[in-house]
Amino acid sequence: MNMDKPVRRVAIFALLLFFGLMAQVNYVQGSQAEDLRTDSNNARQYADVFNSPRGQISAGGEVLVVSKETGKDNPKYGRSYQDGPIFAPITGYFNGNATQVERAYNSLLGGKDKRITQQRWFDTFIGKKAEGANIELTLDPDAQRTAYEQLKGKTQQGRRGGAVVMDVKTGAIKVAASWPSFDPNEVAPQTGEKGAKRLEQLNKGSGVIRPLVDNALSQTFPPGSSFKTVTAAVAMERLNLSIGSSVNTGQLILPESGRPLPNSHDSGSCAGSAPLKGAFAESCNTSFAKMALDMGIQQLHDGSAKFGFGERVKMEPDMFAAESAVPVSVTDAKGQTVETGKDGTARSGIGQENVRATPLQMAMVACAVANNGKIMNPYVVQNVRAKDQSELYNASPKEFGEAMSGDHADQLAEMMRAVITEGTAKNLQGMRIAGKTGTAEQDPASGIPNSRWFVGFSPIENPRYAFAVVTEGSGDGATNAGPIAGAIMSKVLKK
Amino acid sequence: MQSIGEQIRARLPYQRRNAASFALLIFAMVLTLSAFAEVGLARDGSIPAGLFVYGGGLAVLAFAAYFVQAKFTPYADPLLLPLAVALNGIGLAMIYRLDLDTSADRKAAALAGKKVVADAADAPSQLMWTFVGIVLFVAAVLIMRDTDKSDAPLSFTPKTAQRYTYLIGLTAVIFLLLPIAPGIGAEINGARVWIQLGPFSVQPGEFAKLLLVVFFAGYLVNKRQAMSLIGKKIGPLSVPRARDLGPIMVLWFFSLGVLFVQKDLGTALLFFGLFISMLYIATQRVSWVVIGVGLLAAGVFVATLLPFMGHVNQRIDIWQNPKPYFDGGCLLESGKVVPVNPNTEIYKRFDTQGSLSPGFSACAELGGSYADSAQLMKGLFALAQGGVLGTGLGQGEPWRTPLSFSDFIFDSIGEELGLTGLMGLLLVYSLIVQRGMKTAVAARDPFLKLFAGGVSFVLALQVFVIVGGVTRLIPLTGLTTPFLSQGGSSLMANWILIAILVRMSHDARKPAPQAIQDEGMTQIVSTR
Repeated sequence: MNMDKPVRRVAIFALLLFFGLMAQVNYVQGSQAEDLRTDSNNARQYADVFNSPRGQISAGGEVLVVSKETGKDNPKYGRSYQDGPIFAPITGYFNGNATQVERAYNSLLGGKDKRITQQRWFDTFIGKKAEGANIELTLDPDAQRTAYEQLKGKTQQGRRGGAVVMDVKTGAIKVAASWPSFDPNEVAPQTGEKGAKRLEQLNKGSGVIRPLVDNALSQTFPPGSSFKTVTAAVAMERLNLSIGSSVNTGQLILPESGRPLPNSHDSGSCAGSAPLKGAFAESCNTSFAKMALDMGIQQLHDGSAKFGFGERVKMEPDMFAAESAVPVSVTDAKGQTVETGKDGTARSGIGQENVRATPLQMAMVACAVANNGKIMNPYVVQNVRAKDQSELYNASPKEFGEAMSGDHADQLAEMMRAVITEGTAKNLQGMRIAGKTGTAEQDPASGIPNSRWFVGFSPIENPRYAFAVVTEGSGDGATNAGPIAGAIMSKVLKK
Repeated sequence: MQSIGEQIRARLPYQRRNAASFALLIFAMVLTLSAFAEVGLARDGSIPAGLFVYGGGLAVLAFAAYFVQAKFTPYADPLLLPLAVALNGIGLAMIYRLDLDTSADRKAAALAGKKVVADAADAPSQLMWTFVGIVLFVAAVLIMRDTDKSDAPLSFTPKTAQRYTYLIGLTAVIFLLLPIAPGIGAEINGARVWIQLGPFSVQPGEFAKLLLVVFFAGYLVNKRQAMSLIGKKIGPLSVPRARDLGPIMVLWFFSLGVLFVQKDLGTALLFFGLFISMLYIATQRVSWVVIGVGLLAAGVFVATLLPFMGHVNQRIDIWQNPKPYFDGGCLLESGKVVPVNPNTEIYKRFDTQGSLSPGFSACAELGGSYADSAQLMKGLFALAQGGVLGTGLGQGEPWRTPLSFSDFIFDSIGEELGLTGLMGLLLVYSLIVQRGMKTAVAARDPFLKLFAGGVSFVLALQVFVIVGGVTRLIPLTGLTTPFLSQGGSSLMANWILIAILVRMSHDARKPAPQAIQDEGMTQIVSTR
């Protein structure tokens, strides 16, 4: 009896074992590799991001963010931000983790995006690292600097300010400035431990100041009278009002508490009855509170949703604005649901109570007014180019939605012009801007200052840009936000 | 009927293939030296000094081994030596590369007077053990003589071992038990497979593996007639007598013991698989394979049911679903896995209390059983990083995986040489195994057939268990990767294994003695 046959069979079995191993290695290094590389436990991906230069971020032909060699092993590359605090609301920071554009375009900046790796498949195949792509922002750097300086000058110490300018035809964000801000250079990879500590400190903030949360896109404020634009738009549609409709501007007794809702003044248009245009221009609280009461909070809520209230507006993949809201009910600190009652509805109509809006949201409202009722989806990245200058992405303007009819928009635009010519913001004449003022109280009893708004468009005829400016402090929107808008728009219109 | 081996021999007489062996050896050296050069070029942009020390050292050793092989075993299989040298060389280059990454840290630690990590990549000692391994190869080739000289006084041939079957079996068992013995046994990295001999740690298991093959071969050659012929026919299977079941039952208990006591599925699989395969070769009875596999499956199944054997379940759980165990996971009785990694509160609490292993203590408090899959996952991350073509030697970060130079060296190579490199490595292994099997087919003596088949298969199984473990094909077990892993015992045992195959292949392939035609009626009578 010889043993050759079983030896051969065992030899074949041994081969099968090796085939099994080969199949498994193919599975792990081939099919599974991508998942494993991006596994959250995989520390390599985090360390790896410092080993190659990221792409640049620029705006208006000016390079704002670059990667620089540190001369050390780890991190091999640092990140340097030109005018860091000024552009931080859009660029965000990068230290392995990232925010804003640094985060939304992380894979393109880091060279790991499929659009790069597929184009450079041969480089990928031979293990050559793909180079990060460069990003061009929609921002106007000069206007952004002006906005930052202006906000810094006009905002009360320890309080916040924000400004947004968007192109009404495309939705491109031209300015998104925030005061106070932070310097991303302080937390960039090259800062190491120190940067990590600084980031923790920034994250904690002090008082209401959260430097990492910008006040242009990511922070909400009570919009006050500037919200009357929304109330007017919804009321024109649902209550069949028009620019000439006569509205009651006289006294309003709140139905639940029985107390009166005051106007800032009871003269002029606010003396008892006026056309809608006059009530808007002079910002009569009682007329808009009544409109809100006539419609009910649900109608106001649904109408404002068309402008973007109630959702986190998506500007870029993985880059969202904070949610603005006209709540029908809110959850209080004890976790109980509190309905917005009649008094609350009246106050919601004038942008108080629980109504909150980001400057971006109010700029979108102005965009609807200036662009025949259509809101364009806001975006911040114009294009992305690979290192060889081939275009990987180019923004294509999208409509966010139609908030009102073109006719109503034209009437509202007319009313906004009246604010400058005959209304609350006569001081802004000659600045090529029109808009609505807003001065929202934020618990004056506790010493919290007003949030002061100016929301509108520019130039006055055939508007091309919509804007919203907010600063916190004492006084009103016409004098403390309007001039900022004028200064910013004079820079934007120069282009 | 002629056996297959005889048919091959009749048609195709073996020739000396020393030129082929030499050419392949040069190729293996080019491979190794290029690997060293690449490490240096990638890291410093120049040819490293290590190329001359390590690469040159290996080249001198390899060519010395070649000349001994060509002189004393000219008919030996030409592939075995170059393949082993290629594996040893690539392993040495990888360890040299890992050593470069950690040696600076070690120097700094030594200068600062801190404790130096004993457990790190160490290229000089690996070169030394390579030297010892190849010297053992040369010595073994020189000492062992051809089988037909078995009867000459004081001659030692592979067949000599058959005379001492039971003595060798006993030695194997003693070797396996030594690490458990108090005093000389030592635990390193949680595995009790070492003994401390002066300054050296030795893994007797590596040698026990070879001794077991000899014992099985000797035992089965004696018993195979009875075990293969006698039995009742039940259906398609012929079931052996109960008394012949004895040895397989002993091995079964032994393997399950390893599984239960040492939680070591891989080693159990290695020994049991080896025995079953040799039993099959010896008896040609499929029923033995069915009985063996059935017994092992039943044993493992019972183990998963027993409550106090929870860790077997856990091993399987980690293997199937390693993610929750990353950096520490706690398997509760409900079957839920709670993370106890350094990010968790409970870990931090035990850490601030100064617990030596906070994860373990935290899990004990939760009443579950602790395990950590970070090693396995990090190995897989290394493989993923390598992708198809790898990062290139010296350009990856294989040091991120714990034990990247020993248990996980396959993953380290996978990171830097990629899928392509690993396919090459697996082909080299399977070639060694197939050449060993070919030697078994060509061998004339049944003991030698079993011996050659056994050592070849045990090599295949060991590669399967460890490589399958680190690639998550099967649950992970800490075994050495033959010729690649850092460690002297493994290198010595595997070089002896190659020496045995070389000697046996020479024996099997050399032409039969020529009959002297002139002497008329005289016949050559083999004494075998």
